[in-house]
Amino acid sequence: MTLYSIVGNRTKGGRPLFSIITVLCLMIMYAPALYLLLASLNPDEQLGLVAPTRYSLTWYVTLLDDHRLFRALEESTIVALATAALATPIGLAAALGYRATTRMRSIFVVVILSTMLVPGTIEGLGLSTILRLLRVSPSWVTVTLGHLLWTLPFAIIVSLIGLSAVKPSTIAAARDLGAGPMRAFVDVTLPLIRGNLVSSFVFAFLLSLNEYARAYYLVGRQNTVPLYMFGAMNSGASPTIYAFSGAVLVVSFAAVALIFVGAARRQSLSRVIARLRARST
Amino acid sequence: MPDKVAGRRRRAAFFLALPSFVVFIGLGFVPLALVAIWSLWSFDPDTYWIKPVWSLASYAALLKSGRATVLLQTAGLAALTATVSTLLAVPAATVVALLSGPRRATLLVALFTIPFFTSGLVRAFAWRLVLGREGIINNLLIGIGVVHAPVEWLLFSDFAVVVGMVAAHLPLAIIPIVLAFARIESSVIRASQDLGAGFWTMFSGIVLPLIMPGVLAGFLFVFVVAIGTSMEIQLLGGAGASSIAIMINDVMRVVNFPLAFAIATVVAILLIVVIIVADRALELSRFFEDRSA
Repeated sequence: MTLYSIVGNRTKGGRPLFSIITVLCLMIMYAPALYLLLASLNPDEQLGLVAPTRYSLTWYVTLLDDHRLFRALEESTIVALATAALATPIGLAAALGYRATTRMRSIFVVVILSTMLVPGTIEGLGLSTILRLLRVSPSWVTVTLGHLLWTLPFAIIVSLIGLSAVKPSTIAAARDLGAGPMRAFVDVTLPLIRGNLVSSFVFAFLLSLNEYARAYYLVGRQNTVPLYMFGAMNSGASPTIYAFSGAVLVVSFAAVALIFVGAARRQSLSRVIARLRARST
Repeated sequence: MPDKVAGRRRRAAFFLALPSFVVFIGLGFVPLALVAIWSLWSFDPDTYWIKPVWSLASYAALLKSGRATVLLQTAGLAALTATVSTLLAVPAATVVALLSGPRRATLLVALFTIPFFTSGLVRAFAWRLVLGREGIINNLLIGIGVVHAPVEWLLFSDFAVVVGMVAAHLPLAIIPIVLAFARIESSVIRASQDLGAGFWTMFSGIVLPLIMPGVLAGFLFVFVVAIGTSMEIQLLGGAGASSIAIMINDVMRVVNFPLAFAIATVVAILLIVVIIVADRALELSRFFEDRSA
């Protein structure tokens, strides 16, 4: 029984008021990005919206000649791939460990939350200091270390969500049929949480790609994309920066939206299967 | 026998969690501890680094030349951001969890979560187009004749900073409330209706107290994250607007390392204390557990 089905339509004016506020929330989250996207299609030097008939990709084409941008993009991609490749398995292992024992759970939660919430500037500053002490010269490796610390809590949470959906009875069945813990994990658990592992990888990749405060302290000679963009945004922005911002938005929105669509598909699929099963018994 | 199994599980759990401990302790805790220790050392003009001469000078400097003001200003803006976010998040989360069917609830949660994973830099930058002199809001206001000249305080002001931060951090306020809704027993709502409570009586008398841990958690998340942010202030704030993060960057640029370390130490310790207290008071760990547990 969901809360929604109990409350139904008896909301006495609550629904319109709350709905207006929800729409307002969505507007302040999406409208500026959408506006920027449309403004980036304006072929003139002057900013602002133009009629859809005049939309043009002029500034996006100019982007292709920006070699410094491509070097930043290359650096960011390497860092983001390395970060995601490390955070996903480490996060999964940590989530499995968290579920295997009830000890120290509170400490674990505090550690995860602290890592997520301590300002990036402070984490970056601390890490750059210790790396300086160890005489590690800054490069994509040092940025990756900072981003691993930043993305790991998210990777753990996504894995925890996936594991909480795996029914203990499914694993028990596999074990009863003679599968060892490893075999049960590889053949039963892993396929069931595959979607979450993909999400974990993509989220870590995107969080790394867009991270600014830690990278500020940890980059070597080659800037990452956010650092390059921040410079361009504060130096009499040429319209190409709007085009690049637009491109960044489209790519990251598309990636996350795909993840959510995938998750929704799997969910509705499992709901259908559950319904069929209920009918056959 | 069960003891043996429990022991094996515990050992397995330890080894599984080990790599994440290495990351959290080695890359997170140890550097912070070092920063805290080095904040008590002194600057060495010979090496342009620090030397082990113990001193509280940097903590004294924290209180001088307007630095304490910046700390308080940052906290004030963060508190305002968290308040506005919470006021918007409670109705929004209610629509998600109480007033929407499963399909629309899923869609809304996705819409509220997606921006979190996109570029915060670009989203802050986009507000410049909306709030600027030639921006959409000023054009609209002039167009309908409310004002005759562009409203200047819309951009490069505390107003713009708070708007940018609310838009950026709203998901952090909404999601904990949605999670708190998931723990409400539907029988409680049903009972209130059977007893004849209208929507507003039910909402203020039953729903609000039950989701309060989520509301407070969301407020704290936004507050803590807003304390550490620099992007919105650098892109949308007025001339000379500062924040803790910008101050740390500036102090590092003039190589006053012990002072930068002192600011970082004070802020990090305060925030971690807030998180520990919140975890105790609001039982945040429960958000990570299964509903049935």
